[in-house]
Amino acid sequence: MNPNEFDVIIIGGGITGAGTQRDCAMRGIRTLLIERSDIATGATGRNHGLLHSGARYAVNDPESARECIEENMILRQIASHCIDETDGLFITLPEDDLGYQQTFVDACRQAGINAEIIDPDLARRLEPSVNPDLIGAVRVPDGSVDPFRLCAANMLDAKIHGGQVRLHTEVTGFIREGDTIRGVHTRNRLTGEQADYYAPVVVNAGGIWGHHIAELAGVNVGMYPAKGALLIFAHRVNNMVINRCRKPSNADILVPGDTVCVIGTTSTRIPFEECDNVAVTPDEVTLLITEGAKLSPALESTRILRAYAGVRPLVSADDDPTGRNISRGIVCLDHESRDGLKGLITITGGKLMTYRLMAEIATDAVCRKLGIDKRCETAVTPLPGSEEKSYEAVAQKIWESPSTAQKAAAARMGTRASRIRTSDRHDEALICECEEVSVGEINAAIDRLEVTSLTDLRRRTRVGMGTCQGGFCTCRAAALLAKAHGSVEKERADIAAFLQERWKGNFPIGWGDTLREAEYTQWVYKHVLGL
Amino acid sequence: MKFDTVIIGGGLAGLTAGLSLQKAGQNTAIISTGQSALHFFSGTFESIEEPPQQMQRLFEEAGIRLHYERGVRLMPLGTFRESALSLEDIDIFPTPKIGRKALIINFMGYHDFFSSFLAEGLQKQGLECRVRFINLPELEKLQLSPSEMRSVQIARAMDRVWEKVVQEIRMLLKDEDVVVLPQVFGLQDTSVPGRIRQGVPARVVFAGTLPPSVPGIRTQMLLKKRYQLLGGSILMGDEAVKAHIYENRIHSIVTRNLDSHYLEASHFILATGGYFSKGLVSNPFQIYEPVFGLDVEYAEDRNTWYNPAFAEDQPYMGYGVKTDGKLHAVKDGQPIDNLFVVGSILGKTQPQFGSAAGLAVRSALAAVDEILRCTQNDGEESASNPLSF
Repeated sequence: MNPNEFDVIIIGGGITGAGTQRDCAMRGIRTLLIERSDIATGATGRNHGLLHSGARYAVNDPESARECIEENMILRQIASHCIDETDGLFITLPEDDLGYQQTFVDACRQAGINAEIIDPDLARRLEPSVNPDLIGAVRVPDGSVDPFRLCAANMLDAKIHGGQVRLHTEVTGFIREGDTIRGVHTRNRLTGEQADYYAPVVVNAGGIWGHHIAELAGVNVGMYPAKGALLIFAHRVNNMVINRCRKPSNADILVPGDTVCVIGTTSTRIPFEECDNVAVTPDEVTLLITEGAKLSPALESTRILRAYAGVRPLVSADDDPTGRNISRGIVCLDHESRDGLKGLITITGGKLMTYRLMAEIATDAVCRKLGIDKRCETAVTPLPGSEEKSYEAVAQKIWESPSTAQKAAAARMGTRASRIRTSDRHDEALICECEEVSVGEINAAIDRLEVTSLTDLRRRTRVGMGTCQGGFCTCRAAALLAKAHGSVEKERADIAAFLQERWKGNFPIGWGDTLREAEYTQWVYKHVLGL
Repeated sequence: MKFDTVIIGGGLAGLTAGLSLQKAGQNTAIISTGQSALHFFSGTFESIEEPPQQMQRLFEEAGIRLHYERGVRLMPLGTFRESALSLEDIDIFPTPKIGRKALIINFMGYHDFFSSFLAEGLQKQGLECRVRFINLPELEKLQLSPSEMRSVQIARAMDRVWEKVVQEIRMLLKDEDVVVLPQVFGLQDTSVPGRIRQGVPARVVFAGTLPPSVPGIRTQMLLKKRYQLLGGSILMGDEAVKAHIYENRIHSIVTRNLDSHYLEASHFILATGGYFSKGLVSNPFQIYEPVFGLDVEYAEDRNTWYNPAFAEDQPYMGYGVKTDGKLHAVKDGQPIDNLFVVGSILGKTQPQFGSAAGLAVRSALAAVDEILRCTQNDGEESASNPLSF
């Protein structure tokens, strides 16, 4: 059998692609996932990390709301190590219409979301950081989700079920016979190596880049890139998600995640050329801070860690050539019935929250094409790492008396933290002090999670994501990578690239302590370490 | 309390100024938060071409030997950088080919010294390299805690057990003519680096580590000790918070700890450093000087403060307090006659002084000259030092 032949090829290593690969692999389908960069580099890793209850959509988009709350409940079961069950508040401020609250709660209940009006006093007690001027509050089952962890866990499970993954590999064209797609031409972006892969079905899960992928196949999907800018604060100011109880608007969601919190987002249409390098503008920064402070006044005086932006893949409805009627719902296109092109499916639209459902829909379509009759089991099978309910329980099982760093590792890796080698005390030395990442955890990631660079390592372990933004841990981690990969010269360039990537998110908010940290890092790497 | 000169800032610039003034017979005080850019000093005085004699003497008297050679030094990530004036334990070589064979020594579990990068850098220059990790029982206690294996903690241990390191090296050494060690020696006992060199039958090169910099902290401690020996007062852990200004002269300053006991002086020197040391403070709208509210030269448009390329020169680092050309601070467009600004808080507003360590030392010495000139002209009497016993 030709090793380059599969049953299905999935293009895109975001959450949709990873979820689809897991679903296909669990149904016994031989899969190959191709990603042009690293896992979760697109919209998957560039959003709030909000585990939507669906409440935000309840009034205007009941269908999305219902999908959200169903998936919310599923993810709590299957992805517990990626999720923080914080609950959320929808607050009404004096400038908002309190009359909207009842409409909102009714719509939530219609969609099956447990929304409960609570006394503003209780809201202030539950969430001390909330704007004390609030005149109304509704409690909903929002939460936070770590999209990097979620994406990695899906891909890992796909691999456990026999799936193959090619990262840093770009689809350069389709192999086509008449009106049928037979496979893809690819090029490895790190080595330049070219390869062809064959499969009777190809799934385009490329997010906003899926527009271009469809074009390569000669079909038009009609996507619209919408940029959303967000800010990360250096502290976990709030413990519950805080939303505004009004028509969804800019910068009205504040989500706690790990040691930080995130405010967002904006929505701006941008040209396709900008998708690979989206920048946050000063106006966006100002808007995010001003609106964020209305949710939680402490944000005004909290250090900002980074600014970043993602691109949502919005899709215009098929019967609307003007593109005005844009849907945020799930779009699954079978290009055979739509465009007369056999062997290609596009799965897009949707949200991080509904990735599993999108994957199920796409996999059902794949199964129909392959004539496979197997049921989806992703809704009931826990992801690797989520076999235990709480990270404390995980840590207790692995270590007799876990340290804070070991608890942090258990929170990041779930039950897979047992794979961290701790036989030797040197494995416990901390590389990243802000996020408490040990030598053992980094080596475990390098060994098993396909790490080619410091940026890859960051997505898998949180190295360099803390307050120092890589000031200390960058070269410590680089030394471990250099050892594993046997190339110091490559690693020196990798340090420069990593610091550049950190700076990209720092300079738009470059004042106060952020600028102090930047001055320190720039000075040390240039003049002290000699980069 | 009255002094001849009060210096705000205990880094390289402040200590240099304090030492010079104290030597010239003044009674001075230094207000220091404790930390300074010396804590990440590379050991080389950048942008000093010819060593000022005055500086070399000041440092020698403090027990800091400097050497001046034009050449290159080995950087912690295995690259080479042009250097000239350096601390004694920083080696300067005529070319990057620093020997034939190198033995690079690191400690087990120490991640702030980049032995593999050093080996690769030296191999590129044609040296054969071996990296060896050594372990000492004295370091085991540090290894038990995941964040204790850092330069200063190791250096403290090394002051006691450096001889064991020499023994280990002698056992490991084959035919190498170069031995590379991390800069974790001679924190308190300044004779250690020299004694290691004597004990090892090869050329010993001390290469830098991640901060804190052991040679930098040692330099700060020695300068401080000398300054206090000359009768200078250090208000440690304190900071200036506000000033009383009458008719373009500083009358006194208020510190956080001394509260209502104002510090009066004929002259004041502001040496509070750049952004990291909080000499300059930024917010989304402005960059300002927090003690006196001095005029700062910077661009109004925040978007021009940065270069999006991390490795390029950053405009914000060039911003600094405005002076009148004689280092007098400027506030609301008017020079303040008895306030001098020195060190990195000047940014690039005084290009003739260079940058970093060069700027710190040269501007401090220039301000001292100016203060002593004024004092002679005025025929002022020295105030007695209220903090000395």
